[in-house]
Amino acid sequence: MADTVETGMIGVDARPARRQQWEKWLIRGIVAAVLLRLAMLMGLSAFFEDLGSVGDWLVEGLPWLCLAVGAAALLPNLSSGIRLQGNRLANHVVGWGIGTALLLIMYFFGPQIQPALSFMGRSARVLVEFTGNQGLFLAAMTALVALSLAVIGSEGQLLHRPGLFERVWAKNLTAKIAAVPMMLVALGVFTGGTIWTVVYSFTDSRLLPREKWVGLAQYERLWGEDRWLISIENLLIYGVCSLVFSIVIGFMLAAMLDQKVRFENTFRTIFLYPFALSFIVTGLVWQWVLNPDFGIQGVIRSLGWESFTFDPLYNQDIVIYGILIAGLWQGTGLIMCLMLAGLRGIDEEIWKAARIDGIPMWKTYLFIVIPMMRPVFITTLVLIASGIVRVYDLVVAQTSGGPGIASEVPAKYVYDKMFLGQNLAQGFSASTMMLLSVLIVLIPWAYLEFGGKERTRRASDV
Amino acid sequence: MSNVGTLNMAGASADAVSDALSGPRGPRPRPRFSRRNIFLYGTLIVVALYYLLPLYVMIVTSLKGMPEIRLGNIFSPPVEITFQPWVKAWAEACTGLNCEGLSRGFWNSVQILIPSVVLSIAIASVNGYALANWRFKGADIFFTILIFGAFIPYQVMLYPLVIILREMGLYGTLWGLVLVHSVFGMPILTLLFRNYFTSLPEELFKAARVDGAGFWGIYLKIMLPMSLPIFVVAIIIQVTGIWNDFLFGVVYTKPDTYPMTVQLNNIVNSVQGVKEYNVNMAATLLTGLVPLFVYFVSGKLFVRGIAAGAVKG
Repeated sequence: MADTVETGMIGVDARPARRQQWEKWLIRGIVAAVLLRLAMLMGLSAFFEDLGSVGDWLVEGLPWLCLAVGAAALLPNLSSGIRLQGNRLANHVVGWGIGTALLLIMYFFGPQIQPALSFMGRSARVLVEFTGNQGLFLAAMTALVALSLAVIGSEGQLLHRPGLFERVWAKNLTAKIAAVPMMLVALGVFTGGTIWTVVYSFTDSRLLPREKWVGLAQYERLWGEDRWLISIENLLIYGVCSLVFSIVIGFMLAAMLDQKVRFENTFRTIFLYPFALSFIVTGLVWQWVLNPDFGIQGVIRSLGWESFTFDPLYNQDIVIYGILIAGLWQGTGLIMCLMLAGLRGIDEEIWKAARIDGIPMWKTYLFIVIPMMRPVFITTLVLIASGIVRVYDLVVAQTSGGPGIASEVPAKYVYDKMFLGQNLAQGFSASTMMLLSVLIVLIPWAYLEFGGKERTRRASDV
Repeated sequence: MSNVGTLNMAGASADAVSDALSGPRGPRPRPRFSRRNIFLYGTLIVVALYYLLPLYVMIVTSLKGMPEIRLGNIFSPPVEITFQPWVKAWAEACTGLNCEGLSRGFWNSVQILIPSVVLSIAIASVNGYALANWRFKGADIFFTILIFGAFIPYQVMLYPLVIILREMGLYGTLWGLVLVHSVFGMPILTLLFRNYFTSLPEELFKAARVDGAGFWGIYLKIMLPMSLPIFVVAIIIQVTGIWNDFLFGVVYTKPDTYPMTVQLNNIVNSVQGVKEYNVNMAATLLTGLVPLFVYFVSGKLFVRGIAAGAVKG
């Protein structure tokens, strides 16, 4: 990252630009090969099936081609000779070499090894994969890495800043191995899973995913379905109301607690405890409190006001507000806590200055304090927004989507279609729409929040 | 607090500034029952009552017998206290054909909770440590993806995970759910640990490096002993989060291995039979007891946990 700074410090810049260049291509080749191979495994190969034997060849050949590009970048440097004696990276070369050897053994003696693996049960299936083409491919990759490290290590110049390839493949290797679970989750589940779902939303998968492409047909069906439209409408009402109310109420509670009240901790504990409870518990309690026969309506009627009606859970028109009451009860405490933390971060001097200038308190809040708390508000907004889209358990527990389909939400639609309705592709397309709505909020926020910081971090980065 | 503020001792407020400069010292005496105070405390108490109401209704209902519930209103305290609903909710309540009550769900949840908490915190703390102290090329990319993953709706990743678990032979088992919780707990916990380890003085790390400690040596001998509080915060986040989870429980387990929340929902929202509201409320309260216990015991650490997770997210 900060190449020039560091080499400048050492005072020698012996590394020719050409060197950086071939290392870059080597890395690009290897990374592209591995990613392609993974993508093929996860279903990218389906795109090539229509091409017949050419397609089969491409599925197998494209990753190898990338690997070949990497190898080609390395070739011209082999001429400078490999020194194994006194090789700076000897440990790493041996390590990658052993890896290659193991993979090759798996490949060549696969049929003999397979029975021995059977004691591991189904999880052995992962290992059996390595006895086939996957094993050969990985062996070629590790061999390429070992060879490249051997070439680079031969130079034996300890003083220089390690080159790009060495930094990627050899430096801090333990840390990288320790971070493998994170990489797998980030790439395999979060990125791979998301892309997989989006891609398969263009198929006509029903009980099981299958690669029969139908274009945007699933989306057309989705937006033609009443249940989905009601879900979206509910989500919008619930979203806007809970955004506005939880921020307003949360801020007002925080402002009140900030007045140096006595028993502040007790109040805060009371306001926050619902947050510790699950949405299921929240939904069930409010289902009981809002029960028309025994709950609030029943109690007030029994007091003499016979015509009093408050039965949100049994009225199609207002059922979503019944869910909103429960949602606000559960979540406002969190918003209050965040706002309180924000208010405590405001300098005491600001308050004094405003007081001396004779500005009334509500004006100070509105025109000085709230604008100063903008980051807190934005973070809260993103938090609530990403939570709203996920609303699922609350509805399941409180109304199960009823009465009729009046309180359906998108998350419930997705679950019902995927796991109950055996209509996978509908679920995929609905969840893709959910993803899209979150991204609309998330990307501008991420840009504002991290876009600016990235540059300053780069500068101080070592 | 400014100097003037500390001079004035406790209770000082902004309007004490002028007093401190000239005139008598000490906080200005305020009438205890000023209009402002009545309004302030009145509102706070009313809101607090609103927040406490459902908890009160839950407790009261669960201690009444069914005849009393049908006659009285839900806010009145029980005339005759009975613990029968609690016993029934724990041991006899039915979901479909199975009448074992919540107890099985409880033990399932415990079996899920313990390995999930241990595994997710172990992975995330090592990740956070690697990200904070052993920054390597490309680490930022993975971390950014991870943080994005925290906001993406889970629904997008549900089915791919079903496939992954099925391939591993873990679909429908407790261990499959443990793995899922570790995966989805990773973003927030990694962020938590990364921020904490970054805040530790770097000299410590460098000194250990000079003394020849490696990756694991520094982690086990220096970082771990220093980060007890953040581990407690992580445990609080995970225990409440995993115990309260419903979506993953219902997607990745089978009726035999349903966690407590799923079983609770099945018991209360089952359509067959007469609704026994007192048993339902006892069951609900039983499910809420674990996170409530964690909440009331942990106090400030709970707040710190959600603040650390949320504000910097």
